[in-house]
Amino acid sequence: MKGYIKLLGLDTVWNILKYVFSFLAVMVIGSVLILWQGENPVTAMTYILEGSFGSIRNFGNTLRWITPCILTGIAATVAFKSGVMNLGIEGQLYFGAYAAALFGFYVHLPRFLHVPSCLLAAGIAGMAFALIPALMKLFFNVNEMITTLMLNYIAVLLTEYFTYIVMGISAAGDSLALSTPPIQDTARLTNLVVKTNASTGFVIAVTLVVIIFMVYRYTIVGYELKQVGENRRFSKVGGVNVTWTFLAIFLLSGFLAGLCGSIEVQGTYGKFTASFSNNLGWDGIMIAMIGNTNPLTVLVVAIVWGILKAGSLHMERMCDVNRLTVLLIQALFVLFITVDYRTLFNYFKRKGAIE
Amino acid sequence: MEYILELKGITKRFGSLTANDKINLAVRKGTVHAVIGENGAGKSTLMNVISGLYRPDEGELFVRKKKVSFRNPSDASRAGIGMVHQEFMLFPELTVLDNIMMGYEKRKMGLFLDKKMIRKQVETICEEYHFNIPLDEVVQDLSVSMLQQVEIVKILYRGVDIIIFDEPTSVLTPQGIEGLFDAIRFLVKHGKTVLFITHKLKEVMEISDDITVLKNGHYVNTVTPQQTDEHDLATMMVGREVLMTVRKEEKQCGEVLLEVKNLSVSDYEGRAKLDDVSFCLRKGEILGIAGVAGSGQQELVESLFGLRKSSGGQVLFGGKDITHLNCRNHRLCHIGYVPQDRISEGINREASLWENAIMGYHIVKGFQSRYFLNRKQAVSFTERIIEQFNVKAASTNLKIKTLSGGNIQKLIVGREFLQDNSLLIIEDPTRGIDIGAIEFIWKKIESLAAAGTAILLVSHELNEVMEVSDRILVMYDGQLYDGGGHGEKTETEIGLLMTGGGIL
Repeated sequence: MKGYIKLLGLDTVWNILKYVFSFLAVMVIGSVLILWQGENPVTAMTYILEGSFGSIRNFGNTLRWITPCILTGIAATVAFKSGVMNLGIEGQLYFGAYAAALFGFYVHLPRFLHVPSCLLAAGIAGMAFALIPALMKLFFNVNEMITTLMLNYIAVLLTEYFTYIVMGISAAGDSLALSTPPIQDTARLTNLVVKTNASTGFVIAVTLVVIIFMVYRYTIVGYELKQVGENRRFSKVGGVNVTWTFLAIFLLSGFLAGLCGSIEVQGTYGKFTASFSNNLGWDGIMIAMIGNTNPLTVLVVAIVWGILKAGSLHMERMCDVNRLTVLLIQALFVLFITVDYRTLFNYFKRKGAIE
Repeated sequence: MEYILELKGITKRFGSLTANDKINLAVRKGTVHAVIGENGAGKSTLMNVISGLYRPDEGELFVRKKKVSFRNPSDASRAGIGMVHQEFMLFPELTVLDNIMMGYEKRKMGLFLDKKMIRKQVETICEEYHFNIPLDEVVQDLSVSMLQQVEIVKILYRGVDIIIFDEPTSVLTPQGIEGLFDAIRFLVKHGKTVLFITHKLKEVMEISDDITVLKNGHYVNTVTPQQTDEHDLATMMVGREVLMTVRKEEKQCGEVLLEVKNLSVSDYEGRAKLDDVSFCLRKGEILGIAGVAGSGQQELVESLFGLRKSSGGQVLFGGKDITHLNCRNHRLCHIGYVPQDRISEGINREASLWENAIMGYHIVKGFQSRYFLNRKQAVSFTERIIEQFNVKAASTNLKIKTLSGGNIQKLIVGREFLQDNSLLIIEDPTRGIDIGAIEFIWKKIESLAAAGTAILLVSHELNEVMEVSDRILVMYDGQLYDGGGHGEKTETEIGLLMTGGGIL
């Protein structure tokens, strides 16, 4: 045991223990919740796995859900790692999705141009929406946590309003299934698994994670970004252009969020529907927190997240457990993971030693 | 002989490191007992054991012949032990009185704050021990020596009679030090016992009744000032002979490299922190700036390095106007900076040694590629610092927060010194490091200057400025006064300038 600790370093051991403990705690609580609803936890778990891997269609569906989790997760990771508290991923995602829907509908281009330009337009839209809180922070020193949080509501409602305008209907009318016209076929992403919504968006997402991981590990920019996140003052004294970095990271995070929105539109829905996202942006923030803002762990967590998302629907259909149980468990996991077990442990140890 | 405090075989380990190894210490009642030693000798650990912050792994602690075991600082306080920390533990936004009573409030009917009674008690203490502090002023407006008095009164208010001072003189002017020593003598005369930690030997000789020397976590000896002299003490501490003087040779300085013209800096409220300051610095010259903390040195240095906007004036570097450049461009001009605040500006606590070591280097010296980080080159640069500056670290991959303060300081100094800068702005380069290392860094500064680097040394250690500098300027209240060349003025004269005396 001691040898392992030495090999990995005390910090790593604590990190692993943290995940193991959180996982166990969540499992216990989750089981209690499922038992309470009159079901066997093992059965429920089996249904989740069956729902996500049971058939090729289910598997495709899982890939479809993993994709946005990766993208929003990485969008949050990039921001948090450099100390930018961008809670506005949800809003930036809406703008990206909306831009993609319009660009996909109005513009006529050959396929090999239409898909990337659509993605780019969405990224830029997300970026533009992230520019607002970034500038407010830089010029008026307004806390970006608050501005991005508030701008989420604005984004959701504003895109809904824009959809009314595009559709040429008044808000007084029936707002059910309010959406833009379907995008051109040339703008749609290629399907990965037939008859499912799994698209090449998954490949894009994974590639982006790998690129970002490489940037942090092997480049000077990545080095600077990490230092800025961990100690801004130190980086400034060391000659990093902190203001520029802040802006760049904010925009990059917005770009990734916008991209996620467009992949939702181009890969899955084929159109922009008002209030479609169902908290994808917040999932990303949770994923980034659990993954401890490390791109590779974020990838792993996003995959687990996607599996749970895809499987929980199946579970609800097959047994009496409410789908919300899974959401609850996910949120609990975030809570457990953010506890500083080491300090807690030392505190109790000290207390124990005294008694 | 009555011992008020006795330590028997105190051992404290941190992982594989033994910070205190079977240390014995006996403090006589009503005396000043100095504990000296190099950095990492275990002084602070020992004091933290006595004041209840750490629990010893082995050994026993006796206060007034009674065995005690402290769980936390309040336990120690209840047993009559209090500590004046090196970094003051005060709330800057609160008044002096609020700071003093914090955590030890007297109550009316168990619920309401009885400020009147507290005030009366504090006033009595101040009167009894001749402290003259303004109870209703906000702490952030007070001078450093005043803050120290507040700390002492705070401890006294808690009813302690063993007071530990952790390097109390490092922030004071010579006059301030005299004041502190008077206060300590007064406290002792009134029956208090003082434990005094320092690495300044002159002070030890002046104030203490007993001196205990620690080295590498071991107890070396306890002597009285009559039995020894500074030279012996230094040898005992370091284990070899130390020359605490840098031999000054006559040298020719080069052309003017840095020219500061009428530089002014105001704070947010428009008060002038730096008032129309002008000076120039030649290649190969060491210009020392002495002054009491908070006289404007911070503002001067920060505006010179592009961390703070100046409100007027001009800074020329090699004839080029650099007044409005940011830090990055200063670094690109080959200006290096050793910040005073090493924890928040000098390092990134969460990062590894090599990540900390290449900050600045990564833009100026550059890696072969502009975009890719060459890990090998980064590590070899880090190893060069570790080797040349004698940093005690097992691996370049360790997190820097696992290093001791002195080693962190050496790494920061090494990082800036090894980058072939043409101008170095150095703030308190030897803060909190032991005399062996101080001597080493002073020599490095000398040799850099000899190689043509211009050096601006801002230090709160008057001794350091006087030893190292070719020319001395004294900062007082945002203005610079001439302190003469090396050895031209005495310590007292400069001390007077530092406090605004002797200025017509």
